[in-house]
Amino acid sequence: MALLEVRDVTKKFGELVACDRVSFTVEAGAIVGLIGPNGAGKTTLFNCISGLFPVSSGAIVFDGREITGLPSYRIARMGAVRTFQVVRPLKDMTVFDNVMVGAFLQGAGTAKARAAAEHSIRICGLAEFAGKDSGDLPIGVKKRLELARALATRPRLLMLDEVMAGLTSTEVNTALELIRTIRKEGITLLIVEHIMEAIMPIADRVVVLDGGVKLAEGPPAEIINDERVITAYLGEKFSRRMQARKEGKADG
Amino acid sequence: MNRTLKRTDLLWLAFTALIALVPLVPAVAMNSFVMHVLILVLLYASMAQAWNIIGGYGGQTSFGHAVFFGIGAYGAGMAVVTYGMTPWPGALVGIVSAAVVAVLISYPCFKLSGHYFAIATFAIVEIFNRMFLVWDWVGGALGLDYMIVEEGLANLMWYDSKTGYFYCALVLFALIFGIVRFLEGHRFGYYLRAVRAGQETAESLGVNSTAVKLAAMALSAALAALCGAFFVQYNLRVDPGMVMSLDTSMKFVLVTILGGAGTLAGPLLGAAVLVPLQEFTRAKWGGLGGGVDLIIFGFLIILIVVKQPAGITGIVRDIARRRGRRGGSGKGGASLGAA
Repeated sequence: MALLEVRDVTKKFGELVACDRVSFTVEAGAIVGLIGPNGAGKTTLFNCISGLFPVSSGAIVFDGREITGLPSYRIARMGAVRTFQVVRPLKDMTVFDNVMVGAFLQGAGTAKARAAAEHSIRICGLAEFAGKDSGDLPIGVKKRLELARALATRPRLLMLDEVMAGLTSTEVNTALELIRTIRKEGITLLIVEHIMEAIMPIADRVVVLDGGVKLAEGPPAEIINDERVITAYLGEKFSRRMQARKEGKADG
Repeated sequence: MNRTLKRTDLLWLAFTALIALVPLVPAVAMNSFVMHVLILVLLYASMAQAWNIIGGYGGQTSFGHAVFFGIGAYGAGMAVVTYGMTPWPGALVGIVSAAVVAVLISYPCFKLSGHYFAIATFAIVEIFNRMFLVWDWVGGALGLDYMIVEEGLANLMWYDSKTGYFYCALVLFALIFGIVRFLEGHRFGYYLRAVRAGQETAESLGVNSTAVKLAAMALSAALAALCGAFFVQYNLRVDPGMVMSLDTSMKFVLVTILGGAGTLAGPLLGAAVLVPLQEFTRAKWGGLGGGVDLIIFGFLIILIVVKQPAGITGIVRDIARRRGRRGGSGKGGASLGAA
């Protein structure tokens, strides 16, 4: 059964339709990528799923229960936890205390929360920063903190919003490794990503959005060769040239 | 990490025990002015710590705490003056009422954020002030004047010596600081600080921020009311202007900010600086027409806000950090020498 099901979700801001009847599912245990060019409505869709925005129409079902319209803390408590694209460290709190806030979702026990926080900090490679104030960290570390904090809640579905944007290529590799580790812990992942190269190697399935509409859906290998996707990302002209080259090759 | 926490806790206990010994020094116990200042330091520290829960840790600047303080004071006052009882049941009613009132007025106010929340709480003080001025049941503008009753703990009243009040203030201080220290290390404390740092972020991690803020406000108000009950027993008189005024609200806020909001030690440090200053200037220059203490208050706050917004705890931390750096380089030199 699908862990997350997005059914015909539409989100309007006044006249602007940010998401237009988007539907897709995330199977338990999978890594699903949600990609698309800037302004495609990826983050908006994320905000709808996590309860930050109310949807204009449509339904979102998590683990067989409809979560449309629930406040975000209820959705988080059900096990669907997200990170933010623009990092949001809880300022005036140390890295460790940030992660503790997430860890307390499993219960009020301080000792248990501490163990969960330590585990999360270790696998995200934050041990050396644990005592630092979360406000003054380099961006790569802040991104990992976002991840560690969400992970400490022990979610069933972890929704990552561009955790790899703005990272150096080494940092991207570390992040990919981390995502694989997280999956091994039995956590389902829905990953919004702008950089195609980052998501393709790890995703089982990719959903492509463009202009608020679902453009394509399928395994990464198919998506990468999908003409509509190439057009959306690289423009008409480039797509035509690619097409011409392909045809040329076929002829020769 | 646990061990250092325990060490600071022991330090707090030692400090409280040391304060408890003060009245045993005859020279201090005989000097009622010194005792008065000590009692006020403990009371203001307790008030500030109560405010610190929602204002410091929770980051919701409330200027409405005079209302809760006043409700506590009137609760105890009416039990004694109007109904001829001991102050205890009145204090209890006051504490519960303050918590209920806090939840009722905070719920709509929490829909506002930042400055707008602060402004709304301002208005509430004025509303309660006017209401109590014209409300006959609570004594109206005349307020409540205590009659002479038997002294002792049952009536929470002493005449000859201030030692009884001193120990009551110390218990109040230890209770409120103990509660806040407990919360600091538990889920509620973490959630409260998370809500201060970012409400949306906290909610994304499963924190019901409205519930957390309301609970913090209720607790903060209840403890403020407890302080109010002690105040009226010490002051032996209460009227609306004395407790339900912006002046009183300001004291909650300023003592905490001067000391360092959102820290355990802040309220004590703030009270330890402001109260003696207030009382000595009042004693020395009270004849100048009053308000000199408030002028000095004002200057101090401007100085703190400009120089170190984290308050006295911030200054202490800066000094410690500078020391630490010097100590660190010294160690570096030593190891170089050894090599």
